[in-house]
Amino acid sequence: MTEPQGTSSIDAGLNRRSFLRKLAGAGGAAVALQALDQLAADPAQALASYEAQIQELSSTSGGDLSKLDVLERMRRELVRALEKPPEERRWVMVIDLRKCVGCHACTIACVAENRLPPGVVYRPVLEEEWGVYPNVGRRFVPRPCMQCDKPPCTPVCPVNATYKNVDGVVVVDYDQCIGCRACLTACPYGARTSDFGLTYNEPNPVADGLIAGRTVAEGYERAPSFEYGEARPRQERTSPIGNARKCHFCLHRIAVGELPACVTTCIGRATLFGDANDPASLVAEMIAQPNVIRLKEELGTEPRVYYLL
Amino acid sequence: MDERRGIQQPSACELSRRDFLKASAIVGGGIAFLGALPGFSALQAARAQAEEGALAYPLADPANQIYTVCLQCNTGCGIKVKLLDGVATKIEGSPFHPMTMYPHVDYNTPIASAGTMEGAICPKGQAGLQSVYDPYRLVSVLKRKPGTPRGGGQWETISFEQAIEEIVEGGDLFGEGVVPGLRESYALTDAAVAKEMAAAVKAIHNAKDADSKRALIAEFQTKFADYLDLMIDPEHPDLGPRNNQFVFAWGRLKDARKDFIARFLNAYGTTNAHGHTTVCQGSLYFTGKAMSEQYVDGAWTGGQKFYWQGDIGNSEFVIFVGASPFEGNYGPPLRSPRLTTSLVEKNLKYVVVDPRFSKTASKAWRWLPAKPGTEGALALALIRWVIDNQRYNAPYLSAANRAAADQLGQTTWTEATWLVKLDENGVPGKFLRASEIGLREKETRPLSTDPDKTYEFDYFVALVNGEPVPVDPYARDPESAVRGDLLVDNVKLGDFTVKSSLQIIADSAREHTLEEWAEICGVEARALEEIAFEFTNHGRQAVADIHRGVSQHTNGFYNVLAWYTLNALIGNFDHAGGLIKGSTYSATGSKPGQPFKISQSSGTMVPFGTSIIRHNEKYEKHTLFLRDGYPARRNWYPLSSDIYQEIVPSIGDAYPYPVKALMFYMGSPVYSLPAGHTNIPILADPKKLPLFIAIDPFIGETSMFADYIFPDTMYLERWEFHGSHPSVAFKIQPVRNPAIAPLVPDVTVFGQQMPMSLEAVLMAIAERLGLPGFGEGGYKDYGDFTHPDDLYIRMVANLAFGEKEDGSDAVPDADDEELRIFLEARRHLPPSVFDAARWERLAGDYWRKVVYVLNRGGRFQAFEKGYKEGVIPEPSANYFGLDLTVTANPFATMVNIYQEKTYDVKNAMTGEHLVGYARYFPGPYAVTGEVLNDEADGFDLRLITHREIMQTKSRTSSNYWLLALLPENAVLMNAVDAEQRGLKDGDLVRIVSPTNPSGEWDLMNGKKVPMIGKIKTTQGIRPGVISFALGFGHFAYGGVDVTINGTTIPGDARRIRGFHANAAMRVDPYLGNTTLVDPVGGSAVFYDTFVRVEKV
Repeated sequence: MTEPQGTSSIDAGLNRRSFLRKLAGAGGAAVALQALDQLAADPAQALASYEAQIQELSSTSGGDLSKLDVLERMRRELVRALEKPPEERRWVMVIDLRKCVGCHACTIACVAENRLPPGVVYRPVLEEEWGVYPNVGRRFVPRPCMQCDKPPCTPVCPVNATYKNVDGVVVVDYDQCIGCRACLTACPYGARTSDFGLTYNEPNPVADGLIAGRTVAEGYERAPSFEYGEARPRQERTSPIGNARKCHFCLHRIAVGELPACVTTCIGRATLFGDANDPASLVAEMIAQPNVIRLKEELGTEPRVYYLL
Repeated sequence: MDERRGIQQPSACELSRRDFLKASAIVGGGIAFLGALPGFSALQAARAQAEEGALAYPLADPANQIYTVCLQCNTGCGIKVKLLDGVATKIEGSPFHPMTMYPHVDYNTPIASAGTMEGAICPKGQAGLQSVYDPYRLVSVLKRKPGTPRGGGQWETISFEQAIEEIVEGGDLFGEGVVPGLRESYALTDAAVAKEMAAAVKAIHNAKDADSKRALIAEFQTKFADYLDLMIDPEHPDLGPRNNQFVFAWGRLKDARKDFIARFLNAYGTTNAHGHTTVCQGSLYFTGKAMSEQYVDGAWTGGQKFYWQGDIGNSEFVIFVGASPFEGNYGPPLRSPRLTTSLVEKNLKYVVVDPRFSKTASKAWRWLPAKPGTEGALALALIRWVIDNQRYNAPYLSAANRAAADQLGQTTWTEATWLVKLDENGVPGKFLRASEIGLREKETRPLSTDPDKTYEFDYFVALVNGEPVPVDPYARDPESAVRGDLLVDNVKLGDFTVKSSLQIIADSAREHTLEEWAEICGVEARALEEIAFEFTNHGRQAVADIHRGVSQHTNGFYNVLAWYTLNALIGNFDHAGGLIKGSTYSATGSKPGQPFKISQSSGTMVPFGTSIIRHNEKYEKHTLFLRDGYPARRNWYPLSSDIYQEIVPSIGDAYPYPVKALMFYMGSPVYSLPAGHTNIPILADPKKLPLFIAIDPFIGETSMFADYIFPDTMYLERWEFHGSHPSVAFKIQPVRNPAIAPLVPDVTVFGQQMPMSLEAVLMAIAERLGLPGFGEGGYKDYGDFTHPDDLYIRMVANLAFGEKEDGSDAVPDADDEELRIFLEARRHLPPSVFDAARWERLAGDYWRKVVYVLNRGGRFQAFEKGYKEGVIPEPSANYFGLDLTVTANPFATMVNIYQEKTYDVKNAMTGEHLVGYARYFPGPYAVTGEVLNDEADGFDLRLITHREIMQTKSRTSSNYWLLALLPENAVLMNAVDAEQRGLKDGDLVRIVSPTNPSGEWDLMNGKKVPMIGKIKTTQGIRPGVISFALGFGHFAYGGVDVTINGTTIPGDARRIRGFHANAAMRVDPYLGNTTLVDPVGGSAVFYDTFVRVEKV
């Protein structure tokens, strides 16, 4: 296996940074590996082969899109978007309420992905029922962070721990956050919650081998989350415990070419994600539909989450 | 609040502070991601991390992923388990499995590039970690503390070896006297003798009259005089050997483990191996069986225990009856995207027939909250309208045999045109045969099973333009094609009066007018007309898709038959958008060319005799009929099997014989069954059941009454071949395989290390008893059978080989990269579970193919291979030919809408013939046929159940993430009903019924659990009906305190919130210790109980 240092040869004809960014493209995984293997032998050929494969992986044109699950289509679009500089892409989420079946898989997938403790939920699904028997209706409304372009939550932070990052996503710097909760109050969508350091299995006995005991649950419950691309095991007195927490579109997954956890587990295919600046993307198509709305538009927060009615 | 949980930012962070800008650079796709790249080795990742000081996202690396199969419910979605240092930390849907991606990705996608491909799974699937890493899992064998009663919650841990010795050898194990061990029931061990006895018993059953039966019994006693002490009862040799007094029963069981158990039980020689089918959707399966019986060698045989579902992704119109695919129904990840995609992007509309306004109903064109129990009436109403208005698919129905179906381009056909003989009262009986009217003589034909022997084939008869014509059902030559007259009413032929099958069905549907049917169902007649019109206005891309709400009634069998008959009227079987069946790849080695015949064995017994649940046998042939006559003491089930609600109560009644030991695997009849509380006094009584062994990862509601509980591996730790479901058009075989190191300890059996588990228990018993087929040389040509892998790896090899003798559909060999990922992904598994050398040795030449299959969690037919173009059909009065697409894995034979075999069964209570066609029987009724009217006694609400998607029926209350969504269930009641009773949201009510007037579970251990729930008013339920969600109100399962070795383990009250009203469900008045049953299809009845609610 060639060491990363060995890649210096590519400096000759290529910008190393852009190459690595391409590597970060998910499907490029194996491709990248092969490419690295081949670099020493024939860098130019390896890179050509790599480019071709990335092209194929991120291609959604030329084929019949109906032969692809939208999850796979969006994943390829994501790989394509990652080729662009961050400032040229615009991540948006589109939630088609006609397709939401109220399963709450997104809520739980998010809890599992981000190791959310009791009391912290990034993506609840609200349910309502109306009408009079037998003319009854039911509706299910997922409510992630809206990733507002004019977020009311960021200016109120006394330590500038929350802000829109280069991807346009409202992030929280866990190392800076002092847990004052000003942002929780400021958010008109109720999208932020505080991490009080609880765990779901805390009340359970250890039991000294008579049963499996609480420790077996701690393996996953205290395992690192990878939010914001950092491995943070869940330890007492350590961030994000004590911090404000919120949906971040699973930036850590996006970065490796993987869709947000709520998107891939959507059994109704109601949640769509992608780069609205890519005119060929599914989300770009969807936000141009006549039945699109955003929540609390009147507040002028300019949400990046759209709903289809 | 505990101070350490305070919200203030820790002042002295132990971790090195990281530059947040660096993190955001990562997010932006910077250099630090190198370490996280999928496909990179751990070494590289570590190097990159050292270089950049950050670890990005190792879970996307295929070397940290294992593909396996979910078991949070029985849908069995494909999943990928993401591992971090050997711990499963996230579960995703598999992109390869058609249940989790639509369409699923190409099977040959390199696994290295699938690291970021994910399919969709439901919230239970997402929460699976909490089932596996449950603190309340057992990790050693528990024995009921001697001197304490069953269910007393007092346990002692004992070694695995000691436990095996005790259950095999028996003895005074609890200070209550001698307990018979499994060795005692391992009585008859000579397979040759067993085979002779089985033949002698068959002769007794086939004897014409009582006297000749008695003579044959005497003959049996003489011939087998030396073995009579091995029989349960020499006066009734048909009960079989004492081996049958060991009963093995299970709840959830899939292939591979099923094959393992079968190997064990066949070696032991007991006929008592019973599953749980009837508590799920029994009558759906057994109506399916009756509809799929084929006329082979002069008899109706070969019916498959299966059912059809709608290929709803290709449907234009669906009627969901008693089914909610957004919440259950096998299953939401599979069915939801097909529905939502078609709703929004295509032209689907659907109806939901359900007393409750389900999540599925929320997107329906129409919600039809018909009265529970009238599902059959509703179907017959639609049938009536379709026949009266001639909206049926006349060409399809006219095909009387395969040759005619072939001409029409159809894969299936029915007996719609076949003539049925009527008795003097006009009651339909058997099909007319050609020889009976001198139309054609019987033919001597070779047996399909043994061409050297022959049988007499007698043609069936249909009218063609009024003239009788002989029908050979399976004839292929075009000259034999018969297109019969559809409606033939009371025609005299020779000595007989006959009707066509379709006429009989029409008459049944015309028992009431449409308005009367609507009145019976409590719906508008106009709605029925509109639905019937739509159903017949979409060619074959319309389907009635049914599930438990149809089958779990006392009239379940006939409800199901009526709905499938409605489907038959439009001929939608095997059509895209119509009814399809599931298909699985065989892994048993039974296909030519497959490398390993998994049933191969150094020896086995021949189990025979009557099962404790009396299935697959006709009462009137049995020697017990000579003793008891009608009514039988309990019902017999010649048309169904796996009658879950009969297992324990039959043991309680010692009918047809006493049982000495019961071993229960992954099942909880006490909790799951309607009126499951009736099982408690039996399980709790060592006199009725001397030895009760449970294999259960928990102390559950049933295993709490066991003498011994053996811990088991859970779904991420073990093997199973999960199979498919009826609405999957593609041939598949998902393989559940170990993804994490088991939490249970290893034990040594046959000198091999293996996890303490079902397999270890059975192997250890086999070792101690010296059962054939196990141990050294147990696998005959293949060598030893000393580790579960000896079976499972060979099954994977068969699957990888495929089903073509020349090997042309074998999967590819894994390349080096695939192999590397495979090995690396399993680096955390202990050798007792995963040993590459052992697996490779077992797989032999197929090793790389085995790797290829396991890398994808099974085998899945390509999306484009699931369907094929059909043949242009003949135009009919209505258009039934717009879409030509048919399933590539078809049913492809005759569909019995009139069932001679069903007619030929006599009710064990009354001796009367069963009805063999769709008919409405007003219920609910007792097993004797007596109609119950509890409403008249003031039980004014009908109790039904439903499923919330965040809980399965019985095994997810440990999932705290799910409980956070819905901590408890409620009594769902229409606001009008609530107002009438002065009830409002949150009020507590006790649910009482005629057979549970105190509204409680009596655990027979001094504890009583009340059935008290919170009222939740809604407009979304039919007035007069209340419903509760299953899965709540546990009273064991880690929710209550237990004592192990004198230490009290506190229970977690979160796990037992809500209530479980199964104990309110009606007990059958004749049986006395069992829920109401469908006497034909065997269903345990969930929806026919009337209750009262009492405010507390």
